[in-house]
Amino acid sequence: MGKVIVITSGKGGVGKTTSTANIGTALALLGKTVVIIDADVGLRNLDVVMGLESRVVFTSMDVIEKKCDLEKALVKDRRVEDLMLLAASQRNRKDDIKPEQMQDICERLKVEYDFVLIDSPAGIEQGFHNAAAGAEEAIIITTPDVSAIRDADRIIGLLQNQDINPISLILNRLSPTLVKKGNMISKNDVLDILNIDLLGIVPEDEGVIASTNRGVPLVHNDGSPGAEAYMRIARRMTGQRVPIPEMREDNFFSNILNWFSRK
Amino acid sequence: MENAVVKLRGYKDGLHLIIRPKVSLIDIQNAIKELISGMNQPLSGTSVHIDMSTSPLTSDDLRNLETHLSDNYNLVVSGFNVLDENDESPILAAPAAHSIPQGLPADNQQDYGHAQIVRQTIRSGQTTSCLTGSVIIYGDVNPGGEVIASGDVIVLGALRGNAHAGAHGKLTSVIMAMELVPLQLQIGSYVNRPPLGQKPRGYPEIARVGAEDIIIVEEFIKF
Repeated sequence: MGKVIVITSGKGGVGKTTSTANIGTALALLGKTVVIIDADVGLRNLDVVMGLESRVVFTSMDVIEKKCDLEKALVKDRRVEDLMLLAASQRNRKDDIKPEQMQDICERLKVEYDFVLIDSPAGIEQGFHNAAAGAEEAIIITTPDVSAIRDADRIIGLLQNQDINPISLILNRLSPTLVKKGNMISKNDVLDILNIDLLGIVPEDEGVIASTNRGVPLVHNDGSPGAEAYMRIARRMTGQRVPIPEMREDNFFSNILNWFSRK
Repeated sequence: MENAVVKLRGYKDGLHLIIRPKVSLIDIQNAIKELISGMNQPLSGTSVHIDMSTSPLTSDDLRNLETHLSDNYNLVVSGFNVLDENDESPILAAPAAHSIPQGLPADNQQDYGHAQIVRQTIRSGQTTSCLTGSVIIYGDVNPGGEVIASGDVIVLGALRGNAHAGAHGKLTSVIMAMELVPLQLQIGSYVNRPPLGQKPRGYPEIARVGAEDIIIVEEFIKF
């Protein structure tokens, strides 16, 4: 029996879809069987980020309307074994799906897969409720800015009311240089307010943009700081004890030191 | 002894001569004479504090009392604690160890209805309200969260959101938090907010309606 985990944030643009794609891929690279579900009906993105856009034939809407079997609607990943995508319908709207229907899909998938990851749409309306309906656990994505933290706090409250537990946090796009300068909210300040377990920190990484545009999740790009962070997160999700590294300041000297140590 | 005109008590900061209100100077002097003559140890040379209410003694009377004490008993008066007659809580004005062994002052143990205890953090978008009494929160109140009480608001954590005490207009209500960095405070119909970018101070604070009808915030040491 697998785990159904919703990946959500409240605020848009903090990296829900990117994180879902990368965590899903990383878990599959670790040998787990994974389905990622795009719950953003009407504004689907996950297939694009995964580079699977052209392979989507059926969507979750077709499964709900019984136009095809659930197994048939799953799109196999191009690169990794045991990674499946259930795409969202682009023609429909978020309230065309009911929470019970989403719940049913999750129940059926978790029997056969180790992890079912649900990419939630932004907001706290019907789309979010559908995404959270079938989930037992949640991962909150936030960036270190006040508006994202405020929305994350709101979402945590809503999830706790639905008895979703545990709820863990990924702090995305943290820039150590800016924290040092005092221009960015630090890890401890975020944890102080949100008061939930930290699953991982993903540093600001320009590689994300390139990998998103190419449709290749960052974790395939070995050695980049973002990829390593997502791999560590996936390891923690499989039960391994991987410490969260303290981030070094990215300056001239540390760059030189890194350059020497790499040789 | 409880209704004696004068009482002598020892506190951390020395001896206190407590004088019952509404007694004339002659009565006080007689009572002091009686008190000191009945004591085993000589008090000569020690200093005493005098706790008394204002009326009916004038400042002349106080000066007379001081000279009377030093002339007749060689007592040095080290200070006067003059309490307002209407102040029903002399405990507040007296030193820390001061404990008059009677019940609590009536005003400090009024029945505020019942208190509601919340064992969780109030997050953004969540509201807790108790319109029949006070609210006590075992957690934080995050920005965007709101606590409303007709009595006091007590947060045993950080108050970062909004709090409204005395929602039915009771202006003696207070807001207290271990870390008071709210977006907005409201007591009765008075609203206040801290200066922009205020950092936590690291000690508990209490907010109440001050003398000029504004909400004042100060370090919470004791009520």
